[in-house]
Amino acid sequence: MYMPRRPLIEVRELHRYFGPTKAVVDMSFEVYAGEVFGYIGPNGAGKTTSMRIISTLDEPTYGDALVDGFSVVDDPDRVRRRLGFMPDYFGTYQNMNVVEYLDFFARAYGLRSYERKRAIEYAMEFTLLEQLAEKPINGLSKGMKQRLALGRTMIHDPAVLILDEPAAGLDPRARIELREMIGRLAADGKSVLISSHILTELAEMCHRVGIIEQGQLLAVGTVEEISNQTETRSEVRLRVLGEPDGMMQYLRVRDDVSDIAFRNGQVILTHAGGPAEQAALLRQIIEANFQVVEFASKTKSLEDVFMHVTEGRVQ
Amino acid sequence: MTSVPPTALNEATSIHPPTRTAEASWLRAWNWTEARLAALAERANPILVKETRQALKSRQFIITFMIVLLFCWIVSFVGIAIVGPQIYYAAAGPGMLAAYYTILIIPLTLVVPFTAFRSLAAEQEENTFDLLSITTLGSRQIVTGKLASALVQMVVYLSAVSPCIAFTFLLRGVDAITVGMLLAVAMLGSVGLSMMALLIGAAARVRTTQVVISVALVLLLAGAGVALWFLGIGIISDGSAMYRQAEFWLFAVVVMSLYVTTFGLLHAAAAAQVAFVSENRSTPLRRWMMAQQACLCGWMAGLVYVVLGSPGASSSGFMSGVVIITATLGSGYWFLMGAMMTGEWPHLSRRVQRSLPTNDAWRPFVSLMNPGPGAGYLFAVANLTMLLIVSLSAAVWANATGMAGGGGPSLEAAFYYAIFAWSYVVAFLGFGRLIINALRKWVYVPMTAAFLIHVILLLSAIGVPTVIQMTSRELRNSGYTLLQMPNPVWTLSELANRGVNSVQADVLVLILPTAALIALLLNLRSVATELMLQRIPVPVRIIEDEAELEAAAPRGPQSPWDLDDDPA
Repeated sequence: MYMPRRPLIEVRELHRYFGPTKAVVDMSFEVYAGEVFGYIGPNGAGKTTSMRIISTLDEPTYGDALVDGFSVVDDPDRVRRRLGFMPDYFGTYQNMNVVEYLDFFARAYGLRSYERKRAIEYAMEFTLLEQLAEKPINGLSKGMKQRLALGRTMIHDPAVLILDEPAAGLDPRARIELREMIGRLAADGKSVLISSHILTELAEMCHRVGIIEQGQLLAVGTVEEISNQTETRSEVRLRVLGEPDGMMQYLRVRDDVSDIAFRNGQVILTHAGGPAEQAALLRQIIEANFQVVEFASKTKSLEDVFMHVTEGRVQ
Repeated sequence: MTSVPPTALNEATSIHPPTRTAEASWLRAWNWTEARLAALAERANPILVKETRQALKSRQFIITFMIVLLFCWIVSFVGIAIVGPQIYYAAAGPGMLAAYYTILIIPLTLVVPFTAFRSLAAEQEENTFDLLSITTLGSRQIVTGKLASALVQMVVYLSAVSPCIAFTFLLRGVDAITVGMLLAVAMLGSVGLSMMALLIGAAARVRTTQVVISVALVLLLAGAGVALWFLGIGIISDGSAMYRQAEFWLFAVVVMSLYVTTFGLLHAAAAAQVAFVSENRSTPLRRWMMAQQACLCGWMAGLVYVVLGSPGASSSGFMSGVVIITATLGSGYWFLMGAMMTGEWPHLSRRVQRSLPTNDAWRPFVSLMNPGPGAGYLFAVANLTMLLIVSLSAAVWANATGMAGGGGPSLEAAFYYAIFAWSYVVAFLGFGRLIINALRKWVYVPMTAAFLIHVILLLSAIGVPTVIQMTSRELRNSGYTLLQMPNPVWTLSELANRGVNSVQADVLVLILPTAALIALLLNLRSVATELMLQRIPVPVRIIEDEAELEAAAPRGPQSPWDLDDDPA
């Protein structure tokens, strides 16, 4: 069971301008320990820019971000001890194999002797890379490289993980493995901030999401919360015994129902109202002596929410 | 390589102590050495470890090493064949040593520094610099690691040539000091060039300019390589005669002090280039600038000591000359440094503000070391002022004690020279800074642009009056005129060569210092704002973290008695 404890990432009024271009505008949100936070937005929305700021690779024009209480601007050294960043590219070193690559980053994070050995072993075990220890990095497939990048990101056991498009270019099996790994990291109490274009996957693994467009954070919360905040209309499907004409006639005169159609033996309509209003609608239909055998309200997917929040302006 | 924990070693020796055969002691020594080497590798800079691993697998490194080795063999065989039977009685060592030095100097001055440059530039190209930046490695560690891996490569190349250099001893005509000096020149030259290449690699962030920078760097390294080759050949041919002169060693000390301080300055500058923006990147640079200033004072004092201390030495006008040289070097140096420092960003990060001095009495002085254009301006002015006061005081003292003698540039000319040089630096930096401040109200002015503003201002002050005078029919042939007042080059060279009257020094001494003081006063308000900044408190979270780190740090024995309590 997901239990939010304390915010490990606090983004406060973050702004980042590149000349006249406003890449990030007044962004504020929090990510808690043990939480997977999905970052959704079209290309150029400001996801990578804000992730780079949180990862101490860039500085904000205004505002700040705290990682475990430390400012990314004032105390980047302390932030780096607590943070692992996996960018949307894999930085390759020539003439290195998997274990040497991990060993270098373990050393760079100050791990010494047995502590380093244990960290490398754990990272390789976690990312299923034990069999590839001596394999040159350049010979790895995309999926293997992504696993290695994740191993590098978690080599110093950071409390916060920032993953920028980690599933891009992966085959379905690698995606499933990655999703499982991220779930295990969150179960270990780590905060994971993840961006992806594959919304179905984010919906499955994220506790909360933030929808960003043109540098602005438009909505934050669970998919259900955002859905309720932004849109009260939902699609309802009904199946009744006998001819549906009477019921369709009954529904047409109601103010809270629109777009009524009959397809595949089902009456499909758009209802303006939340779950309580839907329950009332069902009760009133039954009281009007229509024999309802099926009443289903379609749950909004993350794609639906995203398209609605961004008003379909995906680039 | 497997490391053996010291405790395991101790247990092994305590369980089986009795028979101390030669083989067992050899094994113990081997294990001890291996354990120490493992411990050393454990403490090594991570970048050094990584790059050494990469280099050992690198085709480029192996090919270069094999070529060096091959050329050494060819030179050895061909050289011996050319010398022929004379090898038994002629001194063939210097010729062979020169050939081996030529082979060595190419990888050391060209390959190693360029590899160091590429190593840092490739981090940007391969997108690994971001990954490196977010580790806990500091900026100085990154630069030192890159430099250390260059040093390892130098040692490997040297090891290929060293048997051949040892061979030249057998051929007569070469002594150990010459070889030592030659290798020192080659190694120090290579380290210095690698440091410079790293600074360029750190500064060259834009990929599109990297090709141009690479070509320019190769040309620069080739030029430096040729210069080092000539120096090496000079050492081989005249070395033994030079070492016997005290002046040679004095000169070596001067060169070494310049080398060490410049190296430190370049290292700090390269580290500043890769450091995070909120870090204090200026103070280490300013420390090295002060060290260079101290060296300049030391060189001049040494020069005075050598010349005036030698019996029967003619000291006519010598002290005035020292003042003029000091003022020229000092003003040139502090103008260049000041032009860069006044381009610093005016807002101190909160991180820097946490470390500001708390003592009100010392704050104005200590704050000069802090980042900021105002502090930088005043730092340059204060250092130049101190330098000129010291050199002028020395000149007055020498004159008073009759040591300075007559002839040469007069002491009066030296005084004017120092005052004018000071005025030019203070005025140009001051007015340049005012222009930068004004521009920053509308546009972003980076340090490079700020430096260029100072250079353009100076070139305008030199060029415009010169062009006006040269194109004027009346003034063209009239020599120095007051029109050249803003032109420091003409004014100062005229004063040094022709004396006080040629430049109407009595007029200039009123105008130039006044202009400098106006520039100083106009800057004073913003400078004072920077210097009087108060320290801000350290956040509670930092104090908590410090306490956690302190508690987590492994504690060693506090006294010899603690060791007795240790069960191990």
